[in-house]
Amino acid sequence: MDNLELAAQEVVQGLRAGAHRSNLRGFSTEFAHHRQYVPGDALRDLDWRLYGRTDRYFTKLYEAETNFDCYILLDSSASMTYGSGKISKLEYAKFVAASLAYMVLKQRDSVGLSVFDSGVRSYFPPRSNMNIILEIDQVLRNTEPLPKTSIAKQLSDISMMLKRRSFVILISDLLADVEDIKKGLDSLRFAGHSVAVMHTLDPYELEFPFQGTWKFNGLESEDPLITQPERIKEDYLTNLNAYLEQLKSACIASDVEYSPINTSSPVDKILAEFINERGQAAVAGGRS
Amino acid sequence: MSFLNPWLLIGGLGIALPILAHLFNRHKVKETDWAAMQFLNRNVRVRSKQMRIQDLLLLVLRCLAILLFVFALSRPFSTGENSSALSGEQRSGVIIALDASFSMEEGDENSNRFKRALDQVKVISESIHPGDPVSLVLLGAEQDVIIRNMAFDANRFRNILFDLKAKPEALNLDNITSSLIGLVEDMEAPQKEVFIVSDIQEKSWNKQISRLRDGLKKLNENANVFIVPINGQPDNLAITNLDLVSGVLRKGTVARYKATVKNCGPNAVSNVTIQCKADGVQVDSKQINIILPGTSKTVSLFVPFHNSGSTRITAEINHDTLKTDNVRRVVAVVRDCVSVLCLDGTSGSAGRLLNAALLARNGGVKDEDYIVRSVPWLTFPTQDLEKVDVIVMANVPEITADQAKRLSKFVRNGNGLVWFGGDNIKASKWNEQGKELLPASIGQAVNNRDELGTGKPIDPSMPDHFVVRPLQSLPEDLISETRFQKHFKVEAADTSVPVLKLAGSDSPVLLEHSLGRGHVFMFTTSAETNWNNMALTPVFPMLMQKIVTYLAGREFEQPRVVGDSISLSYTSQPDANDAVFDTPSKQTINVPVRQYRNHYVAMLENAREAGFYTVRVSVQSAGIPVAVNVDTSESDITSLPEAELRKNLEDTGVTIASNEAELMSAIQAKRTTRSSSRFFIIAAIVILLLESWLANHFMKKRRPDLFKKQKAKQEQKVMSPVNMEVSHDA
Repeated sequence: MDNLELAAQEVVQGLRAGAHRSNLRGFSTEFAHHRQYVPGDALRDLDWRLYGRTDRYFTKLYEAETNFDCYILLDSSASMTYGSGKISKLEYAKFVAASLAYMVLKQRDSVGLSVFDSGVRSYFPPRSNMNIILEIDQVLRNTEPLPKTSIAKQLSDISMMLKRRSFVILISDLLADVEDIKKGLDSLRFAGHSVAVMHTLDPYELEFPFQGTWKFNGLESEDPLITQPERIKEDYLTNLNAYLEQLKSACIASDVEYSPINTSSPVDKILAEFINERGQAAVAGGRS
Repeated sequence: MSFLNPWLLIGGLGIALPILAHLFNRHKVKETDWAAMQFLNRNVRVRSKQMRIQDLLLLVLRCLAILLFVFALSRPFSTGENSSALSGEQRSGVIIALDASFSMEEGDENSNRFKRALDQVKVISESIHPGDPVSLVLLGAEQDVIIRNMAFDANRFRNILFDLKAKPEALNLDNITSSLIGLVEDMEAPQKEVFIVSDIQEKSWNKQISRLRDGLKKLNENANVFIVPINGQPDNLAITNLDLVSGVLRKGTVARYKATVKNCGPNAVSNVTIQCKADGVQVDSKQINIILPGTSKTVSLFVPFHNSGSTRITAEINHDTLKTDNVRRVVAVVRDCVSVLCLDGTSGSAGRLLNAALLARNGGVKDEDYIVRSVPWLTFPTQDLEKVDVIVMANVPEITADQAKRLSKFVRNGNGLVWFGGDNIKASKWNEQGKELLPASIGQAVNNRDELGTGKPIDPSMPDHFVVRPLQSLPEDLISETRFQKHFKVEAADTSVPVLKLAGSDSPVLLEHSLGRGHVFMFTTSAETNWNNMALTPVFPMLMQKIVTYLAGREFEQPRVVGDSISLSYTSQPDANDAVFDTPSKQTINVPVRQYRNHYVAMLENAREAGFYTVRVSVQSAGIPVAVNVDTSESDITSLPEAELRKNLEDTGVTIASNEAELMSAIQAKRTTRSSSRFFIIAAIVILLLESWLANHFMKKRRPDLFKKQKAKQEQKVMSPVNMEVSHDA
């Protein structure tokens, strides 16, 4: 299992570390800017030097790193076991989760983990210990993938388990009803969590490059289908794009960050993009 | 149903190819687990059974197309009177044998027998389907195959017919049927037809009728044989001979020629004028009052020679519908002077007798251009042979090797040698040194004296020989008075011919052979009177003068007949590699010079035209004319009556069609074999098109994306840059 830790370590090397900022200003040491004093502000934050120069009261505002709980929700349902190449979506998600956990732990923040399919298979409360990475692998190894029934229910159950407001990262292929997904995400959001979705899809699911005659065996207990993919490719891509649009809209509506992930892309690249987008979102959110 | 190429049916195994391709590329359903099932359109389901049926249908169509192609290539045909149009087309390979002998030129230019024969060939060609094999043979002395198994194309065939002309040759029926059988066997067709289009000359067809009948019977076993007779007028006059009768061909002399005119037709012809021309200028003209049917008349024509060199002499008759045999040609090589050198091996008696014989003319008047000298044989080494045309050696005991070589060269250059025996001859020496020179090796002297001591008379072995011919005009008792008491027994060489023999024996008295461009005559007896009394009779001067005339004439004085070879001999290797032969129609043929034994020869193997050829040792050199005449055995142009022809050929199975209607109905009646090749090819093409359409249709259903892409590409191509600019501006 050291492999997963090493892999996560390797992935995270070179990435921006400790770059998450609190959306709450004023309790740290890094000066951000001034604002005019209003009654109720702590007197220790008054900038006396500025008062000496201007005869006006200004309160110093600080922007500083802060401890936070990151909670990774990993979908281990049967649909995640699909992989057109050497690696399945679940395997890929495992690396992403491990890398994220490693990255968070390196910042001395705490990481929690929940693995779910048709039910919540395991739950680890946030902690600042590298053992969490070992447990990710352990859990996934011992879990027999089952079809997911309702994402809303699983996310709602998980939100009930979370004690503190956390940053929740959902890694899933989200191959379910968009409304159901939205409900689940809303339940997390309503509980006060920041939510980011890493929508993990295989390149074959995105491009549908099959030729000839194929029999498709559904991983989520659907009926098999024998078809000629060339004939249905256009319909497939239309349906997929419509679904992605709906999903994206639902995420936006629920104030959830949405990051599509193609499992053919290197994990470090995906993480870099994810962190970059998060940083920009945090900055934008902080100034608003 | 039978097949022309049954072995091609093996090609039917070719259906294994699409079957193997089908097995290898059989529609395989590949399987995969799939997560995003919710996006798959379940309305487009493929039933593998349906696909199997489609593929099997295409496979069956492909196999069927291959089988049909194989059938078509195997050339199936059905035979039988009851074959319907559905069983195929009436196809036949056709061989047309067209008589092109010169008898076919009888008639006026626009409607002679050959033109009418060509019209019949055109009628036959109308019954030939495009693509059917056709062979065309011109009959003459030999068979000229003009086209062999050509895929019939009406325009091309007509163009070929347009260029055809009759040949100045006699029809040779000897091997016609065998060569036609060869052509039939060489042709691949479900049914074969042979058309013989000829004027059916009575003389040739009756002469070989039994042999011809057997041949036609055999030919009819391999093909349907049709004979298309071409009728014409039987009247014809022909000049059958033009020969030098007397006179040495010298400048300033007059030579007498004899022209023979034959009436080959069934009617008497009167007032026949014969014109004699020398180098195109009329020099004599004679008229024959009447020539009865089947008879010949001879006239003498006198030709004066004003200049030395080659003179082209023709005898012509006019107003005859078959012009080819109205002219007879001969070439006279006229010399400035004729010089005879007698080498006398006796004490002078032989020389005197020879002088008397050779100069016995015009009352013994001396002629400056005709020199006869008699010298002792021992002076031979000192004699200049440059200006000598003929050497006569009488009783010369022996010659040295150098002398033999000198004499050989003298003869090879186109001069003549006459050899007489006698008591002084040392046979062994002559056999040793003169082996190449003389026409025979000399044996012992044989005594022919009978009880009365008179000896044996002569018997002309070759009555047609130029030298012997005048003897036939002598009274018989005069010839029988010429007696030979003694002669050498000789062993003739392979190349020599006996000209005169002793009566009642095979012992030759006179032999001839050619050496290079010259000739050697060898008397096995003496020129003196001790071995015979020839010198005392008129036979001796006649023989000697004819021999000198013959030897003084160049080799090409002897006219050739169409089909003969013309050769040019060289005594030494020529500078040019090729000799040049100009034909009467002004065509130039280069013939390579080849070494033959110890001299060089250029030979034109087959003179195909009648007229004067010109032979040159090189392009720059002066030419030597050679007369080539037609074979007048073809001049009897009376056709065999149709009834007689039918009677003669009644058991051969040959169909005789004397007019167009008969010909067409005979072809229709005989053409019972039908070929199904085209039907099979059309069926195969239709099935291939159907297969192609179905394959396209099935593919369009299975892979619509491909077709959309193709359509999009086509639309992009249609949008030209100009259109794009316009739309952009808009």
